[in-house]
Amino acid sequence: MLPPTAAINPPIFGPAAALDSLGLVNLLADLEYRLGERFGRDVVLASEQAMSRSRSPFRDLDSLTEYTMELLG
Amino acid sequence: MSDPRIIFVTGSSRGIGLALTNHFLQRGDKVYGCSRGAPALNHPAYRHSELNVSDENAVVAMVRSAVRREGKIDALLNNAGIASMNHALLTPLSSASAIFSTNFFGTFLFCREVAKSMVQQKSGRILNFSTVATPLRLEGESIYAASKAAVESFTEVLARELASTGVTVNAIGPTPVPTDLIKHVPAEKMRALLARQAIPRFGTSADVINVAEFFLSPQSDFVTGQILYLGGVNR
Repeated sequence: MLPPTAAINPPIFGPAAALDSLGLVNLLADLEYRLGERFGRDVVLASEQAMSRSRSPFRDLDSLTEYTMELLG
Repeated sequence: MSDPRIIFVTGSSRGIGLALTNHFLQRGDKVYGCSRGAPALNHPAYRHSELNVSDENAVVAMVRSAVRREGKIDALLNNAGIASMNHALLTPLSSASAIFSTNFFGTFLFCREVAKSMVQQKSGRILNFSTVATPLRLEGESIYAASKAAVESFTEVLARELASTGVTVNAIGPTPVPTDLIKHVPAEKMRALLARQAIPRFGTSADVINVAEFFLSPQSDFVTGQILYLGGVNR
């Protein structure tokens, strides 16, 4: 059984995550589409800003949420 | 009757792009086209975006609004391209950069954005545009040929990256077709080029449309990562 913290903030990408690279592509593409629908903003999540960070914003759910809020901010 | 296909054609205002657009509209498809200038046609099933294909924000906005409206994209034809005939040693960096921006970065951006939708649909056809100038290693076309070599390599790798998703990625390498793209090329250069083809004649838009329909066909789902040259030219 997963520890409670892992269940709340599951890893998205990396050795411990369930997603492979195509799974990540699908997740980000779907999220970009839904952000456009909900907020009317065409964001590109895999931007230079994201890729140049020392800690990937795609590593877990919390970091992705935080990064997405930042983009929409 | 089945739903119309939703087809993206870049560089749809002139030459081969315009011929492809007219062909798809006549078949009953819906076409989303773009060019740097105004649309060359007015048709209820045609939507035009005035943009530079290397402008990331403009490409993202065009693709996403089409996906929101249609719910899918069936095919992308990355036809937009520019050429500049010049000796490599006499080519300004700005010319080289402009050619790569349109021919390669434009192709990359449209592939990236359209494929995001296609991957989710688990189907789609991408057709990129190369040229026989690349395998023929034409003198005076070094930057143009190099930009299309980049398109070929990108096509082959992207085809593998998307192979498990139902999306195919191929490229066509047309011979010279009498369009604006080659109007400044001297006649003797053009004759010498045609002589290097197995079938030494100009191509036509119909030759390109024929190959495009082959790659777009539902039966071509086992054909990906291929570069098909017209006129009997080989790598």
